[in-house]
Amino acid sequence: MTWLVWRQYRMSAAVTVALLAAFGALLLATGLRMAAQWHSVLLACTAAGNCATTAQQEIYLGSPAIQILIVLTMAVPAVFGLLWGVPLVAHETETGTRIYAWTQTVTRRRWLAVKVGWTLLAATACGGLLAALVTWWSGPKNALYQNAFDPGIFDLQGIAPMGYALFATALGIFAGTVLRRTLPALGLTLGGFVAVRLLINVFVRQHYMAAVTLYHSPLAPVNLPGSAWILARGLISKYGQVFSGGSGPSVNGVPVSALPASCQSLLYHGPQSISRAGLRAAASCVQSQGFRGFTTYQPSSRFWAFQGIETGIFAAMALALIVATFVVVRRGDA
Amino acid sequence: MSSLVFRQYRAQALAAIGSLAAFAALMVVTGLQMAGQWHSALVTCAALRSCDNLSSTLFLGTHAVGFLVIMTLGVPLVLGILCGAPLVAHEFETGTNQFAWTQTITRRRWLAVKAGWLLLAAAAVGGTVSGLVTWWSGPNNALQGNAFNTGRFDIMGVVPVGFAVFAMALGILAGTLLRRTVPAVGLTIAGFIAVRLAVTEWLRPHYLTAVTHVYGLTQNWTPSRTAWQFAQGIITPDGRRLFPADGADISGNVQVSMVPAACHHLLSQTNPGPVLSCMQSAGFRQFVSYQPANRYWAFQGIETGIFVALAVALLAITFALVRRRDA
Repeated sequence: MTWLVWRQYRMSAAVTVALLAAFGALLLATGLRMAAQWHSVLLACTAAGNCATTAQQEIYLGSPAIQILIVLTMAVPAVFGLLWGVPLVAHETETGTRIYAWTQTVTRRRWLAVKVGWTLLAATACGGLLAALVTWWSGPKNALYQNAFDPGIFDLQGIAPMGYALFATALGIFAGTVLRRTLPALGLTLGGFVAVRLLINVFVRQHYMAAVTLYHSPLAPVNLPGSAWILARGLISKYGQVFSGGSGPSVNGVPVSALPASCQSLLYHGPQSISRAGLRAAASCVQSQGFRGFTTYQPSSRFWAFQGIETGIFAAMALALIVATFVVVRRGDA
Repeated sequence: MSSLVFRQYRAQALAAIGSLAAFAALMVVTGLQMAGQWHSALVTCAALRSCDNLSSTLFLGTHAVGFLVIMTLGVPLVLGILCGAPLVAHEFETGTNQFAWTQTITRRRWLAVKAGWLLLAAAAVGGTVSGLVTWWSGPNNALQGNAFNTGRFDIMGVVPVGFAVFAMALGILAGTLLRRTVPAVGLTIAGFIAVRLAVTEWLRPHYLTAVTHVYGLTQNWTPSRTAWQFAQGIITPDGRRLFPADGADISGNVQVSMVPAACHHLLSQTNPGPVLSCMQSAGFRQFVSYQPANRYWAFQGIETGIFVALAVALLAITFALVRRRDA
């Protein structure tokens, strides 16, 4: 059986290895250059003694073209699902070869187990390799911008991409088995993968562990250690009313419209910008009326816990899809 | 022929109309909300006379919907994968091309009608999505002034129509060449991303010659907010361009490493003035190069033209291949 799988997939294996090698070479070349750039920035700012304020806005590490490519790796699991997962059963059904495959001495279950096993293993390995390259490449950026926990960056690094690759491939296999035709299965896999990823990204991830809330003096900027993921910032009145998010201009994450009218006017001394003195005046005005500031966040120490939980969720969904696939295949006619 | 095309693609058509309707509903609801938010922010900042710093303090809309809008970058590709790639490849796989190509309708007419309707549909879907996104992004464009930037330029205006037509034509050609759907899907994905990246990174900045503004070292000048700015730095007396790199800044684009030996003795921690005027009189100037904001629609037109021309070339190859192939 393993030999058959190799024969069926050797072409796509060769293409994948070639693409991975090209991508690896590109990341290695640009990553080394970026690391050298970062190193020289650190040397310069140490010499000048201003590393604490080394402006994140002023230094741009790497080139935008490579950055686009890095962001695009977010879609690679979907490609595994489309090109490896979907045809696994659907193509055999469409061409009728499953009638032959399912009437041999090798049982249907074993046939499916070997094919699915190798495909999932390959997808996980490729996803992991890609994520490892991206994680290494992003090292200087993570150190400079401290944003590895933010949505969009978190999804490209660590072990989560392995979970996505596993899930996308399993989803493709399942869709191909249930719909029996390649094209509708491609559509379902694409739609399903994007929908599940978006839902978990936007609504579920922030609740993996109870967020930490820090209370501080109102309107003060908060410097959390490391790449903390800030979920909300705002003010709490002495009656416990929360002012956060909302529309309109904001100061350090607090909407200006949430401030009492008497304090709002202190903020602006001219039309140009909010001055430091104005900010201080407004902050003490708000404080005297009993407001406290708060910041809700996930500390950076939870990064790997979150990676583990996210990977676990996607691996569990993949497992459920594979179990469903086995049930469908065992029940279906050849 | 046309009724055959409708029969073959009615499931895709229904799915496309359904998802377009859902997307339109989402865009209209969140777009109206965002327009209201933008309006109230303008009223607030006008009352406080603080509208100048609005772009750094205001976030319009929600991250989730913003994410979805960015993902419309992938819509042309989906059309190319799900409708373009199987057009010829699926007929080969199931052997139905032997039937289709031995009727009174010529192969050429068969392909022309099928490809024609699909390209039209792709243009319509691309245009509808782009129209919705362009309207939805109105407040954000006004706030950030970044509609010309890479990534924003690509999802608004008319270019998505060009991308959709190109992706569809690429899918059709890939399917004709490879005769199998799944490899054709892979080729379409890779080809579309490669062409889009190459055009965005290397061609787009050069559609029209960038404007370079040269000004004095002690002056302050920036192009209009909605312009597409490329590079800034200083010009040496012998015409070389130096770009700010990592290192100690003096003021604006000028860095310690750029100061000529003649002015070195004027370097001080506190006052950049003497060094700058020394360099100014030695012939150093600052420059900024950019594409002015009023070229936005010209760039949109040129980019759309490029992708439509590519699509035409791909289609011509497809026709040549189909006419030569055995049934």
